[in-house]
Amino acid sequence: MAEIQFLLNDRLIKTSSQEGLVLLDFVREHQRLTGTKIGCREGDCGACSVLIGTLEGEGVKYLPVTSCLFPLGRVHGMHVVTVEGLSKETLTPVQRAMVEHSGTQCGFCTPGFVVSMTGFALESSSVYQDDPRDAISGNICRCTGYKSIERALSEVSEQLQQKPQGSEQMAWLIEKGFVPPYFAGIPARLRAIPARRPAELTSSTSAPTVLLGGGSDLNVQRPEAIRDADVAFAQDYASTAIEEQDGFVYIGGAATMEDLNRSPLIAQTLPSIRAWMRLVASTPIRTIASIAGNLVNASPIGDVTILMLALGAEIELSAQHAQRWLPLEELYLGYKTLSKQQGEILSRLRFPSTTPQSRVNFEKVSKRTFLDIASVNAAMRLEVQGDIIQKARLSAGGVAPIPKLLRETSRWLVGQPLTGETALEAAQRAQSEVQPISDIRGSADYKRLLLRQLVMAHFAEATAIPVVKEALL
Amino acid sequence: MSQEIKSKLGFPGQWQETTLRIPDDEPPPWDPSYKFQTVNKAVPRVDAFAKVTGRATYTTDIRKPGLLYGRLLVSSHPSATIKSIDVSKAKALTGVKAVIALPIKEVRFVGQEIAAVAATSSQIADDALRLIKVEYDPRPFVVDVETARKEGAPLVFPKRAAQAPEGKSANVTPQRITKRGDIEAGFKRAEHILEGQFRTQVQTHSCLEPHAFTAEWEGDQLTVWASTQSTFSVRDELAQVFEISPSKVRVFSEYMGGGFGSKFGARASGKLAAMLAKEAKAPVCLIPSRKEEHLTHGNRPNSVQHFKMGVRNDGTITAMQLTSYGTGGIAGGAAATRPMLGLYRCPNKLAIDEDVFTHAGPARAFRAPGHPQGAFSLEQMVDMCAEKIGMDPLQIRLQNDPHTVRRAQMELGAKRIGWDRRNKTPGTQKGPIMRGLGMASSLWYNTGSAGAEILVKIHKDGRVEAFSGGQDIGTGIRTLIAQVVAEELGIPLQLLHVHIGDTQHPYAPGSGGSKTTPCVTPAARKAAFLAKQKLFDLARTLLKLEPKTPMIAQQSRIFSKADPKMSVDWAQLTRYLPNGILSVQATRAHNYAAYNNIIAGVQFAEVEVDTQTGLIRVLKIVAVHDCGLVLNKLTARSQVNGGVIQGISYALFEDRILDPRTGQMVNPNFEHYKIAGSREIPEIDAVLFDVYAGSNNTHALGLGEPTTVPTAAAIANAVYNATGARLFELPMTPDRVLKALAQRRSPQK
Repeated sequence: MAEIQFLLNDRLIKTSSQEGLVLLDFVREHQRLTGTKIGCREGDCGACSVLIGTLEGEGVKYLPVTSCLFPLGRVHGMHVVTVEGLSKETLTPVQRAMVEHSGTQCGFCTPGFVVSMTGFALESSSVYQDDPRDAISGNICRCTGYKSIERALSEVSEQLQQKPQGSEQMAWLIEKGFVPPYFAGIPARLRAIPARRPAELTSSTSAPTVLLGGGSDLNVQRPEAIRDADVAFAQDYASTAIEEQDGFVYIGGAATMEDLNRSPLIAQTLPSIRAWMRLVASTPIRTIASIAGNLVNASPIGDVTILMLALGAEIELSAQHAQRWLPLEELYLGYKTLSKQQGEILSRLRFPSTTPQSRVNFEKVSKRTFLDIASVNAAMRLEVQGDIIQKARLSAGGVAPIPKLLRETSRWLVGQPLTGETALEAAQRAQSEVQPISDIRGSADYKRLLLRQLVMAHFAEATAIPVVKEALL
Repeated sequence: MSQEIKSKLGFPGQWQETTLRIPDDEPPPWDPSYKFQTVNKAVPRVDAFAKVTGRATYTTDIRKPGLLYGRLLVSSHPSATIKSIDVSKAKALTGVKAVIALPIKEVRFVGQEIAAVAATSSQIADDALRLIKVEYDPRPFVVDVETARKEGAPLVFPKRAAQAPEGKSANVTPQRITKRGDIEAGFKRAEHILEGQFRTQVQTHSCLEPHAFTAEWEGDQLTVWASTQSTFSVRDELAQVFEISPSKVRVFSEYMGGGFGSKFGARASGKLAAMLAKEAKAPVCLIPSRKEEHLTHGNRPNSVQHFKMGVRNDGTITAMQLTSYGTGGIAGGAAATRPMLGLYRCPNKLAIDEDVFTHAGPARAFRAPGHPQGAFSLEQMVDMCAEKIGMDPLQIRLQNDPHTVRRAQMELGAKRIGWDRRNKTPGTQKGPIMRGLGMASSLWYNTGSAGAEILVKIHKDGRVEAFSGGQDIGTGIRTLIAQVVAEELGIPLQLLHVHIGDTQHPYAPGSGGSKTTPCVTPAARKAAFLAKQKLFDLARTLLKLEPKTPMIAQQSRIFSKADPKMSVDWAQLTRYLPNGILSVQATRAHNYAAYNNIIAGVQFAEVEVDTQTGLIRVLKIVAVHDCGLVLNKLTARSQVNGGVIQGISYALFEDRILDPRTGQMVNPNFEHYKIAGSREIPEIDAVLFDVYAGSNNTHALGLGEPTTVPTAAAIANAVYNATGARLFELPMTPDRVLKALAQRRSPQK
């Protein structure tokens, strides 16, 4: 492919480096910007956090990513901001707050936190409104200064109350010193970067192109293979749009988890989405990870997969000259085995829109409540009329070799009244459909127990029916 | 040579006058009436600017012209004989500049260093590693502590075969036995005897910056940049390995990204970096991966503890007996007995412990070695005793704890958490969410020692430099040195520039045992004090005062105590310095007869347990700790917060899991080895308790370690208070909570 062009802080970069090289290595090794640190190379510590800015309307939208998982090829036409791009001789309000509240100890994680908090300042939506800590949820401090960092974050948050909305935002942030003046010229400079024509996807050669959704998993599992492969990016072949049409919610094959988290349509359809997404992944990982990637990754414990199964999702598989729709549950044949043909890409997915009769819930239990891989996760979608269940879809992860739609239990639920006894019976019936194994996330018995508890929790959460006494441990 | 001074020591309500014998040239410890200008305040770190802008250069950031990338080949077998290593293909690869195979015959854990390469890029170095052919002869192995103890278990050190204790494997070391009083008589005096079996897991240090080294030779002069908590130990070890004088080795560590006990010495990776650099005749960096960090670079051993405690109905603890063992892999250090030996006045104690070798990475010192494990059992036993005799857990501790500081801390902490809100009968709330309160104590003993040195240079422009060869592990010693020197000279902090992390500067000890502050700050104060005496002489001459006229340095002025109008500005005075500079180096003196040389500490936890899912949510921790005089309220608070948070992480999440069938670690990353994030952390009320300890001229004692000791125990006691179910095993995961709840419902199981 052609040269990659992007802005790194205030400099235009033109490079022919490997598309699959992670941004972190380019920034540190090629550009010698060592403020961005290497802590884990798997997106879990946030020491390598950078901001990526993409044109949106007249301005630029900035989001945090862990640069250890972000392929260089994807930054074409973007503004990449590292800690070095934030200040020269005077500190930004974020940095000042970190100094004054003692938010830095050994200091190794500090640039990552500063970058994440600057992303918080640049955020124009209400996504962090519930809890500003969402902005630093992807950063680990081992020393550990979370409380001091949170105090710094609160102070920044207070200053940002004055921030105007819309087009004046950037001028205000520059005036207050949150970002340097060169940020004002970034939109025009990004527009001047010529678009690239994506390569043809080939599937028949001995070294097929690797199509990356986000790469948040592949770049953890085999970063060297990705670095050395011909890579292509889903964003060039599929849409990121999330829209409603003919009673369905359609999600583009390149949409990320953060797109889902921020979509006003989804917020309407699934009002609890932000609370669920908070359990799934940190903001930087959600910004990288694609929904389609989560589905085709076929992890038996994929959080979004389990949610989509319960929602009744279908996927659109596209090959060069053909397209077909497939119920999501029919994609999974066995452990990591898909009924997807070589060369087919997941171009879209859809699920029936929710109605006032819908009851949807997602539950997950893991050792660490947030951002951990679940021991068991489960989702449920009911359509109810009066007190009677009309339609039901119950799904569970971590209890079978595939992400599991609990067909029998779902079928049984239809026609049942919404009562605590129904919940208990469903929780018991679900047991006959699963075959959990013992592993590091818990014993088989424990996972069975969790499934029971989560099914009960669905009913308690989504239908507000009282828990029957027998259900308590 | 020495003088006797009367010193007021202790804390409000517990003052006592003590006679201290101190060297003639020492400043006396600060009097409680002294009004501090810089010390004992909340002062932001002097190096925070460099840290928040990303300009602080860590070892992993060192870039030298011609720098080569080193990579380690580590064993993939838990136990094997190495029949041969063939590095010829790796050596022949273009871009490879050095290959070193270690002369080892056996590997004893997955992750053990076997060979290293240096190449012009990290990709080439990785490729070269794959070209090294190691012929292993795999041998039987054992990674779990129970199997390793049994007779006939595969031996980690076959040479120890003859030393097997009776009925056990030679993997087990001889028992260490500590006896106090008469344990049998103690149990006889008891009206109740309680027992408990406790287990704790292996925790890895997980420093965010890996154990990185960059080495460069110029002739026979070796320069090393190290992510270390002891620059001088790296220097001395490398001097020994290469048989050169320590004067030929210079170690830098200006910024380092966390150590927690795992970063002493050069060890294999430091030596290999220097060996590669020597062979390649070029600088080499060697930066372990996260996986290697988990496997190779240290851990806190696990423990299996059998505790027996005797108590009388009046609350007197009459006997404590702890039998424990644990594994630090191929290393020792599993003893969990120190809290029970050090806490509570119980006269009859018996502690028995043994190390068990397994085919796993070696343990290293980890923030209060042995203590969080030992506190987990001891402090739950104390609660069990209290419940048995119907006594409040706070009351039984107050009654059995002789430490005046800790007793005062308990009263204070109980008020702050609202101790009277605790459930009088545990586990009787309606649920499904249950709340409870718990508490636990800590102790620590390292109060510093003599020997650290500081060089102070005062320049004619009024600026002051201070030099220490030691490192800042993150606790803020650079800032504390600046504060203490500024305080003594009566000048603002802005005039100070502190240089650290360079073995060409004066000696400082390693940052271990919570002793950096009590070792280094007294040297800083003494150097500043001695420099000040010379400035006083100069001022007297300028002001035409009698020699020996008492003088004061305050607010950038030097003036006569008797007549403050006889005064000279700091800026004016330093202009008159002969040769434009005044240099003074001073050494920290021995410890004096202190008010206390055992550091106390107590923590209170409030938790919420979801009895449906087994999830524990910590709602609040009140942590009351002492470190002598608090030199900096911000950095001290950070220490307390950090200890508590690591304690929560240890209590609920962290667990190194080895597969007994393969010997491999199944979670060698941060994806599956979970450490606490900001969302899991509750409100922390860090209460710092000033004590004029008097063991040195700044009253400083240590703080880093004790703050992580009682957290897991306090949480476990709170979980019990909430649910009536006791957690005997760490980490307290949802499955263990559910099991404990089930057990509580049907105890026959």
